[in-house]
Amino acid sequence: MEHEQNGLTRKMIAFAAFLRDRGFRVFQSGVYDALRAVQTIGLEDRSDFFFCLRSILTTTDLEWAQFQSLFDEFWVTVDEEFEGGEDAPKKSDPNGRNNGEGKGRQLAAECEPVKGDMLSRDKEWLEGIAYSPIVSMVEKKDLSRFNQADVQVASLALKRMVAPFQVDRSRRLKRTKKSGGMDFQRIIKKSLKTGGIPLALFFKRKKLRLKRLVILADVSGSMDRYAQFVMPFLLGLRGIGSRAEVFVFSTTLTSITFSIRHMSFEKVLSHMAEEVPDWSGGTRIGFSLHQFNEKHGQRLLSQRTVVVVLSDGWDLGAKDLLRREMAQINRKCHTVIWLNPLAGDPDYEPLCRGMNTALPYVDHFMAADSLQSLKRVGRLLSRVMVH
Amino acid sequence: MSSHFESIEQVVDELAQGYYVADRALATVLFLSHKLEKPIFLEGEPGVGKTEVAIVMAKLFKTDLIRLQCYEGLDSSTALYEWNYPKQLLHIRLQERGDKKSDEIEEMIYRPEFLVERPLLEAIRKSDDKPPILLIDEIDRSDEEFEAFLLEVLSDFQITIPEIGTLKAEKKPMVVVTSNRTRDVHDALKRRCLYHWIDYPSFEKEHEIIMARLPGIESQFARQITHFMQKIRSFDFLKKPGVSETLDWARALMAMERKYLDEKVIIETLGCFLKYQEDIARFNQEIWSDTESREAYLHRPGEA
Repeated sequence: MEHEQNGLTRKMIAFAAFLRDRGFRVFQSGVYDALRAVQTIGLEDRSDFFFCLRSILTTTDLEWAQFQSLFDEFWVTVDEEFEGGEDAPKKSDPNGRNNGEGKGRQLAAECEPVKGDMLSRDKEWLEGIAYSPIVSMVEKKDLSRFNQADVQVASLALKRMVAPFQVDRSRRLKRTKKSGGMDFQRIIKKSLKTGGIPLALFFKRKKLRLKRLVILADVSGSMDRYAQFVMPFLLGLRGIGSRAEVFVFSTTLTSITFSIRHMSFEKVLSHMAEEVPDWSGGTRIGFSLHQFNEKHGQRLLSQRTVVVVLSDGWDLGAKDLLRREMAQINRKCHTVIWLNPLAGDPDYEPLCRGMNTALPYVDHFMAADSLQSLKRVGRLLSRVMVH
Repeated sequence: MSSHFESIEQVVDELAQGYYVADRALATVLFLSHKLEKPIFLEGEPGVGKTEVAIVMAKLFKTDLIRLQCYEGLDSSTALYEWNYPKQLLHIRLQERGDKKSDEIEEMIYRPEFLVERPLLEAIRKSDDKPPILLIDEIDRSDEEFEAFLLEVLSDFQITIPEIGTLKAEKKPMVVVTSNRTRDVHDALKRRCLYHWIDYPSFEKEHEIIMARLPGIESQFARQITHFMQKIRSFDFLKKPGVSETLDWARALMAMERKYLDEKVIIETLGCFLKYQEDIARFNQEIWSDTESREAYLHRPGEA
């Protein structure tokens, strides 16, 4: 490549590694494309150079917004180094290479738990069966005394609970026997054997597919009593192979989907302790929901989404905000379920402010303080959701 | 106007002739896309002019715009091709009188004349002659299956029809993919594209857009409208109005023969730029109830 002599190729590789280090998705072909583009455009104009790299090396609006400052940071220092002496590009190159290798190692490390998860999923199925005599025993315990070993039991209960929501009709067609619309492509093709007389008929109908589940779990101080229930509940989601997105909140919202899906059991626990800044802190449900709507609402909420909020409804934040955010979630998703540990008490009334505000926007309000009540939730849902 | 871009300046100029106000960044991406024959992936809030890019490009190149609107469940029979079943059936019936063998009939009814061309096939077929602009609109509405299928088409513009064989485009058409970010698009697709994020325009740019699109409007009035829209976008509405709302609104105001904004006309035409009942309610409560903020939004000409 003609830019070889001024070290542009090396710099570009280093720049790609630099971006990758800062969380960008830079593809293998990105460097090549960038060089090709620079060749087309020339190096006369710095802003053109910038525009051209930006269009090739970014893939989301977030990266788009960060690109300017990273671009300045990298190319200013590199230019200075380069002017400083012959060895400048070499200097940045080993850096880039090291980063690349580091990334590779990291990736490998990330991959393994994924594999492990896949294996253990099958195992969990089997273990679930083996567990069943124990289930009844465990169910009678109060959930606040649960420990980590009960996760698999919770997983089973969850599987049952989620089952009614799992099936959804996609608009994509698949072949079926004698139901749905006619599949003319096949009819004609097969009719040729019989001289164009369509003797056999073929059909296709809409394929079934999974619904998306979004779980928003309250882990604030007031929920501490039920933490022993919340944890198995959240971790139990690992096993059911759903497309569940999981968030925890107290004063702010944190996504734990990645940890739950891809990390080993011990790692998840330590990771959560580190990553979730205010476990057992105060409660701002409204603000947390606002964060959810703002950041993830577009992507996650649709008429195929079922939102499950797990909280006791003790809210210290603004009432109006909570109402507005609940209304927005309610409007955009298929069903909102609120699981409240307190509601297990027969004398419970939703008196506290937060719960009172949110209630009009909740489709199903249910108790969840033990696995038995989770089972009830599942039964009720399957009745409500038959269509 | 030519069908070839030679420099970025030329792109900016020609876009302006097509009444599309583009900054240099977008022009660079269009230039690159043209030179490197890579699709453009445009993202941005609704109504900032993503689709318009493709429409203007087709106008500049004096070529066809082939549009594929994505939706959930879109499959190859609606995006690529379908056999014309009634025609095939009729043909089979007609052949029955003769003593044709079944494989002869088969050969006959699986010829290109029996194909119903859908947008992607149309784009590939037309590319031999004069490459069209292929607009794949709102890719985020389609499902993952279609995205995967699209990859194959976008990477080498060839499609295989089992009964006929492989069709390949001699020249690559220019492809514009747009997305509203209702879901993440797969990396494999993004990797093949040049990415561009279209933001809400700055005051000057929006003013320029109004002036370009509505030749009859007075500059002062356009400034007032722009000021109002810029300000309203800083408020946290469910759906912030885009440029297309600005243009709709300005057009509505012109049709009503207004020369300046006042409080009455804004209430009358609120529906042009706020599309949710909740937003309108909040606007009335939180912005329009206060005289001072009303004044700030109106920004009458002559004032500082």
